[in-house]
Amino acid sequence: MKNKLFEKYFVLSPYFWLVLFFFIPLAIIFKISISVSEWGMPPYQDIFLFDNGFKINTTFENYVYIFSDYYYIGSFVNSLILALISTFFCLLIGFPLAFYIATSNIKLRNILLVLVVIPFWSSFLLRVYAWKIILQNNGILNVILLNLGITSEPLQLLYNQYAVIMGIVYTYLPLMILPLYGYLNKFDLNLIEASKDLGLNRIKTFFKVILPLSVPGIVAGSLLVFIPVVGEFIIPEMLGGSDRLYYGKILWEEFFVNRNWPGASALAFSGIIILVLPIVIFQILYSRWSQKNEI
Amino acid sequence: MDNNFLVVENISKSFGDNKVLENINLNISKSEFFGLLGSSGSGKTTLLRILGGFEKPDTGRVILDGTDITNLEPFDRPLNYMFQSYALFPHLNVFNNLAFGIKENFTQKEIEINVRDIAELLSIEHLLKRRIKQLSGGEQQRVALGRCLIKKPKLLLLDEPLAALDKKLRSKTQLELTTLQKKLKITFVFVTHDQEEAMSLSDRMAIMKNGLILECSSPEEIYENPKSLYTANFIGIANIIEIYKKGENFYSDDLGINFKLNKELKNIKTNILLRPEKIKIQSINNLKTSSFNSFSGEILEKSYLGSFTRYEIKIKNMIISVLDQNFYSNSNYNFPKGEKVICSWESESIKVLED
Repeated sequence: MKNKLFEKYFVLSPYFWLVLFFFIPLAIIFKISISVSEWGMPPYQDIFLFDNGFKINTTFENYVYIFSDYYYIGSFVNSLILALISTFFCLLIGFPLAFYIATSNIKLRNILLVLVVIPFWSSFLLRVYAWKIILQNNGILNVILLNLGITSEPLQLLYNQYAVIMGIVYTYLPLMILPLYGYLNKFDLNLIEASKDLGLNRIKTFFKVILPLSVPGIVAGSLLVFIPVVGEFIIPEMLGGSDRLYYGKILWEEFFVNRNWPGASALAFSGIIILVLPIVIFQILYSRWSQKNEI
Repeated sequence: MDNNFLVVENISKSFGDNKVLENINLNISKSEFFGLLGSSGSGKTTLLRILGGFEKPDTGRVILDGTDITNLEPFDRPLNYMFQSYALFPHLNVFNNLAFGIKENFTQKEIEINVRDIAELLSIEHLLKRRIKQLSGGEQQRVALGRCLIKKPKLLLLDEPLAALDKKLRSKTQLELTTLQKKLKITFVFVTHDQEEAMSLSDRMAIMKNGLILECSSPEEIYENPKSLYTANFIGIANIIEIYKKGENFYSDDLGINFKLNKELKNIKTNILLRPEKIKIQSINNLKTSSFNSFSGEILEKSYLGSFTRYEIKIKNMIISVLDQNFYSNSNYNFPKGEKVICSWESESIKVLED
């Protein structure tokens, strides 16, 4: 009986974690987002006032403010586009890699998997900083290009959106490869041979057999890359320039530079809803679809 | 009959240092049901995969209906391959699995007609809308077969076609498969490790061992007149006795009896095969032992198999297996354990093994 109780709580522990570190902070953010801002510490008024009897002191001004200024919506759209492009490139590079790893022999497979995971052993910040050193005007890449005579003056490789996309694809690639590998690992290679035997060449076999059967892995990997990239702050901050503003950066500025906590909270809360709601709906529809198709 | 429909010429194949096939030669006729029989590691599946185009041979050629297909990709070969695991597409229903190979070149209407026809042939019309996971093993086997046959291949390759079915279903499917093959007149080449399956399906079969073909003939010929000791042991139950020439006749030290053969021997010493059902078993009271081709022994073990009773009879240094048909329904006609019996056989039943 005691053991059963323990088991029950043990199984539930991830939910305690989720409540403690996601739902409660989210509730606090929501509370701040509907507060009236003021100069002071903290820079917003309480939502429950008791001085002249009980009064609820809330406002939706902050939401009106961020949704009426394209500065905020634009940054969110920029981030969505960045996340889409990065996810696409991660998939483009990650799928063949994951397929190759999954179909190679055990010895090679383990070596390749370790190689995929190795970057996690050093600090994320250091790795992004290393790219900064490689790409800067007198960095190693420009030195090589100059010495080979490919360019006559250093290229501006850093501080633009391309450097940001490269940095994100580099950083998030393992998150795409690992779930894809998990699915492709179980792939029955006889299915590929059967498809070829029935007259489909390699390209048609890929689109008719390999791709449809990899959908769960592609969905898992893409979500794992897409969601965090929308809120990514460090990589655009370090590798990006002023050509494009991203959601994470705007959020940070609103909180720490403008000290507009209610506005920033409204921005954060809207972002989460806009991002999570479609994904939840998608997941429900997708799980129904995959149940129907038994993939 | 033209036995050059499928020609396998000097095929060799190694995986690293491991020689899997060594100089394989085969000639298979049109509409033949041909079996490749061997234990695991004999190279039979590799040979089938070379025919299917999934492996490239190191040397040699494969010629199908006059065309050299050795270097063709699987999707360019006019043949189909049925996988042991069936390899049905789990994301498609039965209809789309059947139509998979003809979708490219046919109109929607033609596809539907073809699928209905093949489903009718295999009696799976009622399954067309099902998912693969909702099918039983036997149903999956039919869909896999149908998916190949719908392409009207010149040659159908089957990898252990019945291995995944349970025993009762297997014998039923065996019969259906032979009937179907005779009806469609498509050349079938299949691989199996099960000698019964090989014998009941094949018109001719090849016995494979360590990448070599030991013998290639009809099941009857291989069972009755095996050339090698390995084949004799591999197919059916075999009593192998070593004999040598002694005067007019031949003598076995292990049994301590004389053999009379109706043919001359090349070697002084040789192994002979005596199939257990060729031995007549009689009560010792009925008659006396003859001076050759018979012995008296004691029943050591007895197992009742329904249509037959199998006896293990000890004589001198050897144990001989005898299969006795249960002709009478009275169990008294069975010999009890420990009883002394007389065993005898015809001279023609003794088969000399060449190696």
